[in-house]
Amino acid sequence: MKSVEFFLLVAALLFTIGCVGVLVRRNAIVILMCIELMLNAVNLTFAAFAHESQSMAGHVFVFFVMTVAAAEAAVGLAIVIALFRRRRTTDVDDASLMRW
Amino acid sequence: MVVRLLLGLIFVLVAFAVVRALAPARAALAGIVLGAGAVVLVALNRQAITSVEFWAGLVGFAAILSALMIVIHPNPMVSVLFLIVNLFSVALFYLILNAQFLAAIQVIVYAGAIMVLFLFVVMLLNLKAEEGLRGGGGPQRYGAVILGGLFAGLMFHALRNRGPRPYFEPGSFDSGFGTARELGRLLFTRYLFAFEAASLLLIAAMIGAVVLAKRRLR
Amino acid sequence: MDPAVTRVLVEASVKIALFFGVLLTVIAYMTWVERRVSAWIQDRRGPNRVGPFGLLQPLADGIKFLFKEAITPPHVYRPVYLLAPVMIFIPALVTFSVVPIGPAVTLFGRRIPLLIADVDNGVLIILAFASMGVYGVALAGWSSNNKYSLMGGLRSSAQLISYELAMGIAIVGVLMATGSLRLTDIVTHQIANGWNALWQLPGFLIFVIAAFAETNRLPFDLPEAETELVAGYHTEYSGMRFSMFYMAEYANMITASALATTLYLGGYHVPGLAALGLPETAMVIVQVLAFCLKVAFFLFVFVWVRWTLPRFRYDQLMNLGWKGLLPIALAHVLWVSFLVLAGRA
Repeated sequence: MKSVEFFLLVAALLFTIGCVGVLVRRNAIVILMCIELMLNAVNLTFAAFAHESQSMAGHVFVFFVMTVAAAEAAVGLAIVIALFRRRRTTDVDDASLMRW
Repeated sequence: MVVRLLLGLIFVLVAFAVVRALAPARAALAGIVLGAGAVVLVALNRQAITSVEFWAGLVGFAAILSALMIVIHPNPMVSVLFLIVNLFSVALFYLILNAQFLAAIQVIVYAGAIMVLFLFVVMLLNLKAEEGLRGGGGPQRYGAVILGGLFAGLMFHALRNRGPRPYFEPGSFDSGFGTARELGRLLFTRYLFAFEAASLLLIAAMIGAVVLAKRRLR
Repeated sequence: MDPAVTRVLVEASVKIALFFGVLLTVIAYMTWVERRVSAWIQDRRGPNRVGPFGLLQPLADGIKFLFKEAITPPHVYRPVYLLAPVMIFIPALVTFSVVPIGPAVTLFGRRIPLLIADVDNGVLIILAFASMGVYGVALAGWSSNNKYSLMGGLRSSAQLISYELAMGIAIVGVLMATGSLRLTDIVTHQIANGWNALWQLPGFLIFVIAAFAETNRLPFDLPEAETELVAGYHTEYSGMRFSMFYMAEYANMITASALATTLYLGGYHVPGLAALGLPETAMVIVQVLAFCLKVAFFLFVFVWVRWTLPRFRYDQLMNLGWKGLLPIALAHVLWVSFLVLAGRA
């Protein structure tokens, strides 16, 4: 048996910090970066469990999470750029047209 | 045990975050407290740490510190740079966990392509340092601190009652675990459908990104 | 520490010291080569005052740079400004660490492969650090707080990531033929089956062209062209920091040449050497010399093309990368897959 708690702990911490970042920061790009941080934490958890059970399925999952993260970052940034062109700001509190 | 060391580190980091949240001007003091706390904890840890655990702990510290700096620093460009450092630390973790292919892919895809994208956007939009954090006023912040403390207590309790664990062994490279060959074998046989679906996803994302960032939809 | 770990560390440290000593000397003398060869192409003499044939010129240049005042303009973003030259230099050096310069030798009773890191995924390490090289340029341009530098940095980064794609796909052809990511395996495969440049000529040409773009050399050097962008992303650098950019460019050239020989020209292979039956030490030395000669040939081609061809305009450059090289690289991968299926290997 191999001990992977350390990696799980670090991944949990990274996920929490990413979560806090999404909730606290105002800049849309930094929010996207914190989402990437959360995805990385999840990847680390997958890799740690793959190592513990010596099964490559965890690595396959990490591969797909990276793919989805790349696609999501590209589209998210395109949306941010489009927003910036209209409103001249990346502040998410300003994107409030559809708020009640 | 390394877990004890890391738990102590968690407490120091939580203290740092609390200080930063409640008194932003004291961030430098918080940094000193953090560094001193970490040094004290390492010095007090009497049990022998294996070389791998030491390096894993160091990389973990770098990962957590850079993650904190992403969230805390007001300038988005500096956040991008710290995220690059964080992605590199996670790549080092993959190496320690015998996932060599993933480590290289992490650097190529995440730190080498996605972050370049972020860098371009930050440079093109010419973003300056933002003022202040978002969100509610006093009660919400104190609530966040209390809940954070409860969460830390929960994690501490969850990990405290584990039995004695052997030291972490990185394992050998002989079995081919973590190589490109093994991953490729799985991707092209068992997970082939997901693989093809992922390629479709990437095409959709490419087209979507190009269309969304166009100046005028004609 | 574990004796095995100590042994590995000592071996690696000696190799690193040797490799990087040689590499830095070659970088310094590349300036001399560039000036002499360009002079020869342009029908004039190069530097011939300082020492015989001007061979001490790099020494004089180095001393000049050391004594030059390194002015840090007040409007730059300090931390990143100081970090950027380092971030360009390091990937070039690290990429060289997985390139085999010769076959394994038997010294002190152990077989020592002649490369610093004989890792299972050497090619991926190369691609990874080539991706990291983009940051130095982009950050140098941004931190200089100067619109010409920013434009130069952005253009250069866009160029680098575009040509990285074509280069990677051309390398995929080599990987398909070899079946392994380890560079020593690639050389061994070429020794057994003939050099990759013969069967994969389009891939070879794509790799060389992409290497020109990756190292920011003419005809792809618009981001640092003087007439266009006031020296581009290294405008605001002076003294030793500027020479770091210069050295990083030559280091990148040397690494690209080493990669081109390893992946396509058979690395250290000398056809027909095994038949001569020389003692092992002599064979190793001949093969290392063969590797150095091939790298030197590529370096000469780099300099030759620089002083012969005019510069690409930026949109021509991007068109070539995305609409020209990328489809050809994809078609090349298809071609190599047919070759592999046909058993050419």
